[in-house]
Amino acid sequence: MARSREAARGHEDPGLQPERTSLAWGRTMMALVTVSAIFLRWLPHHGLPILLLFAVSTTAAGVIYFTQRRRYSTSTAGITHETVDADTSAVLWTASAAVALGALGILVVLAG
Amino acid sequence: MSTNQPPSGDPAPPRRGKIAERLLPGGTEPDPRFTLANERTFLAWIRTSLALLAGGIAIEAFTADLFLEPVRKGLAVLLLLLGMLLSAGAAVRWIRVERSMRNKTPLPLPLIVPLLAGAGALAAAVVLVFILWR
Repeated sequence: MARSREAARGHEDPGLQPERTSLAWGRTMMALVTVSAIFLRWLPHHGLPILLLFAVSTTAAGVIYFTQRRRYSTSTAGITHETVDADTSAVLWTASAAVALGALGILVVLAG
Repeated sequence: MSTNQPPSGDPAPPRRGKIAERLLPGGTEPDPRFTLANERTFLAWIRTSLALLAGGIAIEAFTADLFLEPVRKGLAVLLLLLGMLLSAGAAVRWIRVERSMRNKTPLPLPLIVPLLAGAGALAAAVVLVFILWR
């Protein structure tokens, strides 16, 4: 693909924006993994419904993991072309996953 | 693939997605650095809200023999609700910032900042009161 060739050639941004952005996604992914571990830790107290929260956070972390390469290529090409398409869908699904975690968490706490 | 196209000279701008067209209409493409910075700020808010969500789930279980049940549940729900509002608010803020960058208008004030500060202080006050009067 043209984009990945461009990514391989790198970009001219001394501010390393593509790197910083994919690192920010990576940190978010690790936060999601940590949060899933915390959910599992309290499985004995909250019971099986907590597995739903574990599933949501692990899935979100997995999606980030498998889109990292594409994200880096896209933002590198974006820097090269001086225009990058705002990643609306990624923002929306990440926020939705966090909102879902909150809603499920409230249900688990109130039901327990 | 062997279809070896020559390195294209035309800098075909990336096509905009359907959701982006609908949510971020009009204006001109902002500096890609600003778009990426906006995305990183959104992610920082999401991580904050994840910490609150994990805290909400943990406090309910962790403080089982420390606080009365209504206090435990109240605190847990407060933290979880705050995490929810912050992550939804982070997405809204991301859209508003993106829009104002496209239209070259001043950036909106972050409403999620007073929300986090207020609810965080409230949660701390509840814990303080119940630790002192336990």
